[in-house]
Amino acid sequence: MTATTLEDADRRKAWGFAAPALLWTLAFFVVPFLFMAAMSLWKREGREIVRVWNLDNYARFFSENALLQGLVNSLEITVIVTVLSVLLAYPLAWIIAERVPKRFQRMALILAILPFWTSYVVRSYSWLLVLSKNGVINQMLTGLGLIAEPLEIASTRTATVIGFVHFFVMLLTLTIYSNLIQLSPNYRRAAADLGANAFQTFWHVVLPLTLPGIMTGAFLTFVLCIGDYVTPQILGGNNELVLPQIIMLQLGRRADFPMAAALSIILMLAVTVAYVLCARWLKIERA
Amino acid sequence: MMQSVHDGAHLRRFFSSVAAGAIVAASLISVPAPAFATEELNALVWCDHTDPALVEPFEKANDVKVNLKVYEGTGAALSILDQSRPGDWDVLVIDGVDVHRAIDLDLLAEMPADALPTADIFPEVRMEANNTKDGKTYAVTEKFGYNTVSYDKSKVDPKDMQDLSVVFSDKYKGRIALYDYYLPMIGLAGLGLGKKTAELSEADMPALKEKLAEMRAASKQVSDVVSSQTALATGEVDILVGGGEWITAVLSADKPNLDWTIPEQGAVRWAQSIGVMKDSAKQDLALKFVQYIVSPEGQARLATSSCYWAMPANSKAGEHLTDPQKAALRFNEQAEYLKKTQLYPIPSTELDQQFQDAWTEMLQQ
Amino acid sequence: MLRRVFVSGVSWTYLALVYAFIFLPVAVLVLFSFQDGRLPVPPFNGFSMQWYEAVFADRKLMAALSNSMLVAISSSVVSCVLGFLAAYSLARYKLPGSALQRGLLIAPMTVSYLIIALGLLALLNALHMPLSLLTVGIGHVVINLPLCFAIIYASMGDHQINIERAARDLGASDFKVMALVTAPMLMPSILAAFFLSVTFSWDEFIIAFLLSRFDVTLPVEIWSMLRSGLNPKTNAIGSLVFLASVALLLILEFSLFGRTKKQ
Repeated sequence: MTATTLEDADRRKAWGFAAPALLWTLAFFVVPFLFMAAMSLWKREGREIVRVWNLDNYARFFSENALLQGLVNSLEITVIVTVLSVLLAYPLAWIIAERVPKRFQRMALILAILPFWTSYVVRSYSWLLVLSKNGVINQMLTGLGLIAEPLEIASTRTATVIGFVHFFVMLLTLTIYSNLIQLSPNYRRAAADLGANAFQTFWHVVLPLTLPGIMTGAFLTFVLCIGDYVTPQILGGNNELVLPQIIMLQLGRRADFPMAAALSIILMLAVTVAYVLCARWLKIERA
Repeated sequence: MMQSVHDGAHLRRFFSSVAAGAIVAASLISVPAPAFATEELNALVWCDHTDPALVEPFEKANDVKVNLKVYEGTGAALSILDQSRPGDWDVLVIDGVDVHRAIDLDLLAEMPADALPTADIFPEVRMEANNTKDGKTYAVTEKFGYNTVSYDKSKVDPKDMQDLSVVFSDKYKGRIALYDYYLPMIGLAGLGLGKKTAELSEADMPALKEKLAEMRAASKQVSDVVSSQTALATGEVDILVGGGEWITAVLSADKPNLDWTIPEQGAVRWAQSIGVMKDSAKQDLALKFVQYIVSPEGQARLATSSCYWAMPANSKAGEHLTDPQKAALRFNEQAEYLKKTQLYPIPSTELDQQFQDAWTEMLQQ
Repeated sequence: MLRRVFVSGVSWTYLALVYAFIFLPVAVLVLFSFQDGRLPVPPFNGFSMQWYEAVFADRKLMAALSNSMLVAISSSVVSCVLGFLAAYSLARYKLPGSALQRGLLIAPMTVSYLIIALGLLALLNALHMPLSLLTVGIGHVVINLPLCFAIIYASMGDHQINIERAARDLGASDFKVMALVTAPMLMPSILAAFFLSVTFSWDEFIIAFLLSRFDVTLPVEIWSMLRSGLNPKTNAIGSLVFLASVALLLILEFSLFGRTKKQ
């Protein structure tokens, strides 16, 4: 057996092992995606999809305020949700990692993500009940005499944001926590030895080192949030539409696949921009 | 979450206990497997047809499994049909006003007129103009109701509800929910303009848009069935424009204060028709299903099915309904309601697009 | 000293508040699943098991439950197997363009589920493929494969290579090495990938909604239940799923605690 044939055999084997996953991804992800991209350049006329290349769908997107506003709403809500979730989750992850005794940390984490295991659809619906005018929150607040009139939260952007933040706090707590516990205490000791106070240590040492965890979580939050249909549909009261709702309208009410495809590509571009912004912190590395 | 478990024996124990748990759970779940039926019937329907109390008697009597796919709105139904192959569907339930759209698309099969209980159907909802073409019958009305004004009578003055213009005004601003289905709502906006639903045209679009904007300004939310119900039941809103018996009847036991009325200007009447698909390979069975649905027993079950209650089209269904059910449906007051209401608008494809665009635009305001 | 007390006081208060926020909807959900009445909103009228009975009597709901289980388990198995093979190949052999392949395998993770579902739906329509649980499963493998690949790939260290080489020198075939040496060594991450996949598939809505027809998964069935209005039955099925998941989690925890004590 010569070296070259062994290499060839190895290479064949390697391709053989990787092939199923690669082919699956090509067949059921790349091809459909390209097909959809092509379709976004077709047009629906009457009940027929006309396969003539054109940019009408995109032109319509930029000329119709209702559609453009959908993207703006999506971006605003997603950014608000991402920022709020990070701000809420970071202290939580930090307290679990630093204040909670080691042997209870697992328990604390599991508790923090337990509601994650209720059905997603049911969870949104449950928020609807919690936030409604006679819901638990208003009953509690008026009962305590904190407010005289019930708060109008349900069916607003606030409700959508609360529903989202609830979900993503759980997700971000996980990614940030796993990053925090990997930090060697030596860094902090070194910083303290150099005369840094607790805040300086945090700002100049801990925070930069946990940035990858934050960014990974934030990016995931962005992707999942901007593409979600369920939460705004149940909690938003249709007071403003986000892009996924508009996409579902195109599909469900008028079977306008090309328009839905064009809007999806636009949604995709938004995610790509976010990816480029976070790319330097997002890596998968082998142990 | 489950980092670094290096103990193999421990892992195996853990894995087997999880597997055992999963198997126990799976076996518990798959117990109530229904008896194996020989034939299947595929029906595209509104959600009220999915009540087992309605479908199971038919399945048992004919040894057939009825597969139901639920949609909301004719656009959605046509969209699903677009994505199907010919022969995928045997039965179609569709808004009465859209039957001709389906006929023109060559979707529906002709049904022998003598197979249907036409004489028993309330004359006002027979809708021959809609269900037939060139003397051939393609569909039959099965259920009807109203998109009108539902309200909480302990919170608003019922007298105000007699005047539709109140929903375009500031009087109940922020206490109104709008039902999220563009066709009846545009019909109501048209009534607000004093226009008949059948006469709405492209020329009315600017005025309609203005009316919709007024409605929007007075409302708190635009919502689907569950959010609307939640909002009414929790006092989030006190009025639901576009609602009717179909949204309040199921709540009547728990929320006796919920009521509905048809204002002086009138309201919109909806009607569902059912027909056999032309490309169905099971024409006889499909027809049998249609006959069952419009039979007095089927009609009584359909009228009180779990998704929403509404009036049966067959007047004989009354014999199979209890008095409280009839009261909730207001079975004996229909003559007056029928007189005061108009059917959904029937837009051309072009106008339908404009309706939808106007609705989306209104949502984003 | 005083400062420390203050800091820890703030910490614990914060912890309590966030946990309250996290558990609020779940607590409300469970409480009102016992509602005696048609409306799962305050006031609480009294304790009743009627909605749980209704859930178990609901044939469609039970069918959806077993459909969900079927899709979740089978799509996760496929994802793990494909992910493992690909991770093995990319970690052990230096193939040309391996960065590109990694990128391709991870790519679906950065795309919204809605877009994946739309693309598949468009393609399936064009090919006249009927929708079924199978198409839902295919979609779920697309979203879970990147996850499984990433988790397993990340745990493939070079220190395992020597053990694999030893096995090969003793005459074991590649598949034997993989099945009897590599896979057991990587079992923790494979299991983590598997359970994460099951969780995602179990709870996934939009793909299951767009790619299914008559047989639907639980989230889709719950969605259509919601279309027909408020119903404590929705609370009951939600609570049941939650309790079952917690039970599963506890089983996991117990096994893991056993380990920690031993070590």
